[in-house]
Amino acid sequence: MGNEVILRVMGLKKYFPLRRTLKEILMFKKGRSVKAVDGIDFDIHRGEVFCLVGESGCGKTTTGRLVTRLIPPTSGRMLFKPSPQTLKHLPKEILVDGEYVELSSKLPKNISRLLRREIQIIFQDPFGSLNPRMKVYDILKEPLIIHGIGSTEDERRKLIFKALEEVKLTPPEEFTGRFPHMLSGGQRQRVAIARALLLGPSLIVADEPVSMLDVSIRAEILQLMIDLKEKRGLTYIFITHDLAVASYICNRIAVMYLGKIVEVAPTDEIINKTLHPYTKALLAAVPEPDPSNRFKIREVPIKGEVPSAVVIPPGCRFHPRCPYAMDVCRREEPPSIEYSPHHKVSCWLYARR
Amino acid sequence: MKLAKILENESFRIFIRSVVSKAGLTFLFVMVAISIYVVATMPLDFGIRVWSNPKLWADNPKNAPPIWVNYFSNPKLMEHVRIVISKPARVESVEGGGKIFTYVVTYRHGYEQFPQTIIIRFQNVTYYTRYTPVIEVSVRRPDRLVIERLFVWRALTTAGKPPYVRSERIDIEGYKEAAPQLSTFLLREFNITITPERILSREVPATEIIMGKPTVKDENLQFKPLKGRYVFTFKVRTYSDKDYVGGIAMVFVGRAYGLMGTDNLGRDLALGLIYGFPVALLIGVVTSVMTTAIGALAGIVSGYYGGFVDEAIQRVCDVLNNIPLLPLLILMTFIVKNPASKIKISPLAVIVMVLIAFGWAGLAIVIRSMVLPIKSQPFIEAAIAAGASKLRVMFKHILPQVAPFIFAQMIFFTPSAILSEAAISFLGLGDPSIPTWGQILEASYRAQALQNGFWWWVIPPGILIMYAAITFVFIAQGLEPVVEPRLRTR
Amino acid sequence: MALLDVKKLKIYYYTLSGIVKAVDNVTFSLEKGEVLGLAGESGCGKSTLGYGLIGLIPPPGRVAGGSIVLDGKELTKLSSEELRKVRWNEISMIFQGAMNALNPVYTVGFQLAEPLIIHKGFTKREALERAAELLEAVGLHRNMVRRYPHELSGGQKQRVVIAMSLILNPKLVIADEPTTALDVVVQAQIMNLFKKIKNEYRLSIIFITHDLSLIAEIADRVAIMYAGKIVEIGSSEQVFNNPYHPYTKGLLNSIPRIRHKEKITWIPGVPPDLRAPPPGCRFHPRCPYAMDVCRREEPEMKAVEPGHYVACWLY
Ligand SMILES: Nc1ncnc2c1ncn2[C@@H]1O[C@H](COP(=O)(O)OP(=O)(O)OP(=O)(O)O)[C@@H](O)[C@H]1O
Ligand SMILES: Nc1ncnc2c1ncn2[C@@H]1O[C@H](COP(=O)(O)OP(=O)(O)OP(=O)(O)O)[C@@H](O)[C@H]1O
Ligand SMILES: [Mg+2]
Ligand SMILES: [Mg+2]
Repeated sequence: MGNEVILRVMGLKKYFPLRRTLKEILMFKKGRSVKAVDGIDFDIHRGEVFCLVGESGCGKTTTGRLVTRLIPPTSGRMLFKPSPQTLKHLPKEILVDGEYVELSSKLPKNISRLLRREIQIIFQDPFGSLNPRMKVYDILKEPLIIHGIGSTEDERRKLIFKALEEVKLTPPEEFTGRFPHMLSGGQRQRVAIARALLLGPSLIVADEPVSMLDVSIRAEILQLMIDLKEKRGLTYIFITHDLAVASYICNRIAVMYLGKIVEVAPTDEIINKTLHPYTKALLAAVPEPDPSNRFKIREVPIKGEVPSAVVIPPGCRFHPRCPYAMDVCRREEPPSIEYSPHHKVSCWLYARR
Repeated sequence: MKLAKILENESFRIFIRSVVSKAGLTFLFVMVAISIYVVATMPLDFGIRVWSNPKLWADNPKNAPPIWVNYFSNPKLMEHVRIVISKPARVESVEGGGKIFTYVVTYRHGYEQFPQTIIIRFQNVTYYTRYTPVIEVSVRRPDRLVIERLFVWRALTTAGKPPYVRSERIDIEGYKEAAPQLSTFLLREFNITITPERILSREVPATEIIMGKPTVKDENLQFKPLKGRYVFTFKVRTYSDKDYVGGIAMVFVGRAYGLMGTDNLGRDLALGLIYGFPVALLIGVVTSVMTTAIGALAGIVSGYYGGFVDEAIQRVCDVLNNIPLLPLLILMTFIVKNPASKIKISPLAVIVMVLIAFGWAGLAIVIRSMVLPIKSQPFIEAAIAAGASKLRVMFKHILPQVAPFIFAQMIFFTPSAILSEAAISFLGLGDPSIPTWGQILEASYRAQALQNGFWWWVIPPGILIMYAAITFVFIAQGLEPVVEPRLRTR
Repeated sequence: MALLDVKKLKIYYYTLSGIVKAVDNVTFSLEKGEVLGLAGESGCGKSTLGYGLIGLIPPPGRVAGGSIVLDGKELTKLSSEELRKVRWNEISMIFQGAMNALNPVYTVGFQLAEPLIIHKGFTKREALERAAELLEAVGLHRNMVRRYPHELSGGQKQRVVIAMSLILNPKLVIADEPTTALDVVVQAQIMNLFKKIKNEYRLSIIFITHDLSLIAEIADRVAIMYAGKIVEIGSSEQVFNNPYHPYTKGLLNSIPRIRHKEKITWIPGVPPDLRAPPPGCRFHPRCPYAMDVCRREEPEMKAVEPGHYVACWLY
């Protein structure tokens, strides 16, 4: 994988405003908000699988939806480098550094649509992500119609069949006439992948694509995704809460906690040279299929659960659960520290003071 | 091919399994069939041209029950009879020009009652010269007595240019020309002296003299109806070869009429009631289709757009939902029915428009709440991620999810539209030019039909209103398990 | 004598579109103080087996044959009244997703104490005291008795649900996917709680999950279910370290592990439709070693080691 940065995210934030309570309205208080993503930075290189890992509610999905432009960010920048053929169609004025597009700005309709083809998303729930009233064929035809791909029905059928073959749903004619409920979970997820591929994207956000699938077929979908990546030169943002899956498929892992990235490094480093106490806790908590484990109490060094994203603790947001919490942690938010060239951590323990 | 597909469809199978849906569908089928028949056979302006045209009903008995009451009652009520003759039985040419047409009307009487009266109509007596045709009427009774020259009628006017066309309606009661002849007849045949004045004043009705046998009982003269064949002969003398008579009609005004009886104007209720079918269907379908269409659109837009649009639509809905509909309807129809008002809209259209304008709000609120969870479903996000426009998302992806519900609502709304129209009409605010069941009911109420025992004027429209409502309620009930899968029983 | 003895148990759902043989000829036993892990893919009948043991099979399902003997009592023959006494007193169940089924209008304490008041005739005070003790035992503060479910986090709710299953001191607890909706860290805490309960109460537990790693964390013995049948059962060491059935092997090979870099594999195909399972061995359409006999005849359970049984024609 080269060092070509395909997506550069800087200071990205997404706050969801909460409805103000009557008391707040009466006392003229400002409405509160859920700080789902609270200032994150990362670069994604072309051809890599970049993982976002973290507990429920830490903002992984929100990040994915921001990158896919399903929701607008509260602030921050997302610079995306489109593929050369898309770049040709973009007016020079909107480009940053000649080859990047600012995803967070309001783009004209036609350009926005053009960029939709570049970044696609695969959802966690393969049932919910397919329209239950449409047949597989129509589900796959939707993106073609929207983007005017293929001028005749015949051409479209060929494209759809090719996509189904690519995700190993063969023979395609056996699947095109089915409704989503006539497919197994794995088959549904393949259809979702086929739909994402039809538009020829360069970046795919995969939001927990195997979490709802049976263990016995997860590997199959993961392998399919890896194969497709090699074949099509794709880049993935892979979202998961399962560190084992992340370590299996990802090149780099970013660990999120309460809307922040606390540690980011290549997979081996995260697992073998773990720095952040939260990452350590996560790793310690992962169960292993080893029957001798039942005689040991698993040491999970952190207590309690993730606090609400509405009232974020001051200082380091992890300090109430951290076994190493120091004074400074309660006062000041830790900076992102470059521990080694590819390994960044946000923790006062590693600050050179 | 298509039909087979529908029959195989699971939703349809679930729908048709229940008894109520079968009943509902049957009712609907009957309703639609009758409506098609009505539209095909009756004039569209039936209301103005027929129903509200008193001339057409003048010969009918008033407040007459339907003839089938004779199955249940004794003595039998005389059925209303109308005989039309358009072809003369004989035509003779007269030397020196003109012809004599002889028309014969035969009537067989079989009741212990007299007709209320006898009405004779000459239709389109057409002539071309100043010599007007003369019609001479005579009767032969079952007892072989003959009333010669019961009366002689002349078309007297010759104003303007030929051809001259005259029509005449003669009610034998109080008809001056006939009284002297009847007086003579009684004297000659029965030796009874009744002055023509007494006949004209109806003290001794002409009908009874023509069709009865006089008896004197306790000094009182009484007539008993003569059963059997009456032959009325009409001799028409014309004075030009071109002259002719369009037709001759005789009405023996009875006491029982048609399938559904008559109202106080003699209108045939069967016609009014049958005409009510397409009207009810139209009111119901137009109102419910428009209401659900607007409601669904507003609901989807409101739910999907959110924000200010949502807030605005929902506030409008709240307001609409909290305005009491009936007083408003009354006010609106009152305004348009006021002769002084400049707004010339049919009150029926006003009723339909008000029902639509105020009916969609409730649906919009429900649809909105259904759209909210659908909107956040991943497949909607998938469509957006694929680049679908807002319109496409709303109509291609959200609408089909709520469509079954909308369809059921449409059917559910139909009876309430029909009932609302009936209620308004019952309050006398309907559209007089279009008869509806509610209006027939209202007329009966105004005529105190119930107090007078004219049940045939009250019960059938009531039943039909219920029938229409129940048809759609049944279908809606049958649809419920289709739309709400949790109600499905195994 | 074993605490629980299940023989040839059949539980079928009689649906409009056919009979779903969700549990078909299942035989196993459970000793006192033992934890049996029940693993298998989604839809293989794990929950149904749990419902069957506690006598709460949702309609249109019912026991179609076999026996369940708990402590010498035949449960399938009991009247529903007698069964109600056994339920919660002797067997309790932590239902799949139970933490989201707590009644939002009652306090946690009341929901915990209610069975004591109803079944054991405790006064409200005594019952609440006992509830508070139990909350402490599952690692919550005793003040929690006065809290409402919505004031608790997911992990806390799951602890409350576990406490509820223990309130009448049952001999057997069936835990159906008790950690599925929880995060890893909380999951590890709850697993630690189960280990603690197991040691302190000498409880028998049937631990149902689709995650073999979790089974390894707690179970003494493991039963692997496939399409309504138990295909392999044995001690944890036997099943994890020396699996016999191709399905078990496939499952174990499909688990990604953090510190092992070997490629994971998968089992091709999909589980069968339980209304019309394939003839012979139900696993044969997905089995890489399928032989002729597998397509024709159902394999019997055979002992391959002491206490280790496999239903496969290979052995
Ligand atoms: N549309 C929304 N409106 C309000 N709050 C939201 C919305 N979407 C997400 N949130 C909140 O933002 C936070 C982050 O949510 P997000 O879905 O990104 O988490 P996640 O890491 O994907 O979690 P999970 O593992 O459960 O999928 C949560 O507290 C969530 O409740
Ligand atoms: N009420 C029911 N009616 C008909 N079939 C049912 C019913 N409940 C379950 N089934 C069927 O019985 C089979 C076993 O279901 P069960 O819930 O026991 O599986 P499970 O192993 O617990 O799955 P999961 O891991 O998804 O919880 C499935 O095929 C399911 O479709
Ligand atoms: Mg998520
Ligand atoms: Mg289950």
